[in-house]
Amino acid sequence: MAASIRSIVRAPSRFFLVLQRIHQTQVTVGVLRAPVITPVIRNFFYSSKLLNLESSEKNDHGVESLKDLSRYKDKPWKYLESEEYIERYGSKPVWANYRRNHKGGIPPQKTRKTCIRRGKTCGNPCPICRDQNIIIHYQNVSLLQQFISPYTGFVYDPTRTGVCMRQQKRLNTAIETAKLHGLIPTQLPFVDYTGEDYSNSHGAVAHTPPPPSKTPDEPWYSWYGSIEPNEHELARVKKIYKAYLK
Amino acid sequence: MAARCAGRALSRAARSVINAEYNRAARSQTVQRLTCTAAPGSSSSGQDADRLKAVQFADAEVQDILNRITGLDLNKVFQPVKQELKPPKYRLLTDTQLEEAAHKAGTQAKKLLKMPPVLPERKPIEEVLCEDKMLEGMDKAKYVFTDITYNIPHRERFIVVREPSGTLRKASWEERDRLLQVYFPKNERKLTPPPMFKEENLKVMFGQNRHHAVLNYCLVQFEPDSAEFKRVHALTYEDIEKNGKYNLLWSTRLFGGLVWHLISSQRIDGLLSDMLQRDRVHDAESLVHLFNLAHPQSDSALQAQQQQASGLELLKVIILTYQQPPLVL
Repeated sequence: MAASIRSIVRAPSRFFLVLQRIHQTQVTVGVLRAPVITPVIRNFFYSSKLLNLESSEKNDHGVESLKDLSRYKDKPWKYLESEEYIERYGSKPVWANYRRNHKGGIPPQKTRKTCIRRGKTCGNPCPICRDQNIIIHYQNVSLLQQFISPYTGFVYDPTRTGVCMRQQKRLNTAIETAKLHGLIPTQLPFVDYTGEDYSNSHGAVAHTPPPPSKTPDEPWYSWYGSIEPNEHELARVKKIYKAYLK
Repeated sequence: MAARCAGRALSRAARSVINAEYNRAARSQTVQRLTCTAAPGSSSSGQDADRLKAVQFADAEVQDILNRITGLDLNKVFQPVKQELKPPKYRLLTDTQLEEAAHKAGTQAKKLLKMPPVLPERKPIEEVLCEDKMLEGMDKAKYVFTDITYNIPHRERFIVVREPSGTLRKASWEERDRLLQVYFPKNERKLTPPPMFKEENLKVMFGQNRHHAVLNYCLVQFEPDSAEFKRVHALTYEDIEKNGKYNLLWSTRLFGGLVWHLISSQRIDGLLSDMLQRDRVHDAESLVHLFNLAHPQSDSALQAQQQQASGLELLKVIILTYQQPPLVL
C-alpha cells in the first residue's frame, strides 16, 4: 500500500527513495549510522500529507492549525487591546515594520502565494502569518481597518502591506462581510426617485379582471383556428422551393 | 432556448393582448395619482371636507414645510466622500462668479436633499392567469418568464411563474425584486438583503449612531413601498425618538421621513423641545403648523383655528393642549 503510493511520487524524488531503502536496511541491522540527510527525507516522506489519503484540505490545514492554537481564537479583537500587542506594534499598523525580501529594486507585483506550506513557515513570513494571534475575522474591525486606506476607503495592495496572497484573499472576503454587516462604513450611490410612478396601477402588478368565460370548444383567441393561406402566395412559394419539396 | 423564446413571446403576447383587452377596464377603476395613507388622527365622516381634510405626504404644502424644516447645512450635505483621491483644483473667481458658484451649490444641495417617497405598503400580488392541468408534473422546478424589453418601467414589466402543478401566476413582489435585480442590476443592491438589516446588527449600528448609513443602505436595497423598507425605517425612527438623536438626520434627505413618521404617530414633543433647545423657533412653528394640517380634528388644531393663531401663538396652543398619545400595545 505504502509502496504503491510512493511509486506515484515524481521522478526527481526517486533518488531519495533509494536513499530511504538504504536507511531502512541500516536501521534493521541495529547500527545507528543514519546519514544526516535521511531524517529530513523521512519527515518529507512520512508526513501525514502523503500517507493520509483523506486529507483534501491541502491549502488551509497548515495555516489554520497554527491560528487555532492561539488563545484569542474565539475573540480575535481582544488581542488588539492586549499588552502584548501594544508592546509589539504600538499604535502603528501590523504591517508597518515589515519588509519583503526580493531581488532588485522593484518588488514582484504579486507577493508570495502563501507563507505556510504543510505546517512549515517560510523565512520572513508576512505580517499576518508571523503572529499567531492575529486572526482575520469579519468582526475584528480594528485589524481590518489597518488594511483600508482612511482617505479613499480602498483596501491596500499586498505589495504595499506585504501580506501573502492567501491571507490577502481572506482579508478581502472578511472586509466584504464586515461591510455587509455594517461594521465598516461603505460609500453608497445616490438613489434618485424622480420620474418614478409608484401608483401600482399597471396590469403587471395590479389585479386584472379575469377573461370572459370560454367554453372548451371555443378557441382562446378569436383568431385561433384554421387559417387558410392565400392561393397565389401558396403557388408562388411552392414554385420557388419546388426542388426541395417532395 | 426554444422554451425561452416561446416564453418571451408568450409574455409579450400576453402583455399586448391583456393590455389591450383588460387594462382599459382596470385603469378606469384604479386611481391615477400617487396616494398615501391618510393620517391616523383624521376622520372625514360627516365633516366639512374642504377645510378639515388631512394632508398627505406628497402634497406640495407638506413637502414645502418639510424642506424648510430639514434645513440646509452645506458642510453636512457636501461632506467629503471617501473616493479615489485626485489633486485639488484651484480656480480664480470674481465676486459675481463666486455668487454664481454658491447659487449652483445651493441648487445641487436641494437636489441631494430630495426626500424619498413615503408610500402605503404594497398589496401582495396573488393572481392566477391560467390553470393548465395538462402541464402538471412536467418538471419539478418552477419556470419564471420575465419580459426583458428595455424601454419599459419596471412596474409595468410582466413577470409570470409556471408552477410544477401547471398554474401560471404572476410573480410575487419579492420574486419580482429579485429577478429585476438579476436582469437589470442596480448599483450596490444585493440579491438577498445583507445581514445588516437583522435586529442584532441594527442595534449595533444604532449604538454607533450610524442611523444615516442604515437608512441610506435601506434606500439602495429596498423598494419604497416594500415591507422591509418600512420595517427598517420604523425601527430607526423609534430608536432616534427614544434617545432624542434628532440632530443626526438634520439637513439630510431622511429628516422629512422622520418628521412625517412622528407627526403620523402624534409624538412631536421630543422633536419640538430639541428644536427649541437649538433655537430653531421658525422650524418649530412650521412643525406645529404641519401637525395641525395633518390632524385637523386634534385639540391644538381646533383651538388654533379658533384663535387664528400663528407664529409663537401656535407653540403656546400646542403646549397647552398636547396630550401623550395612548400607548399602542
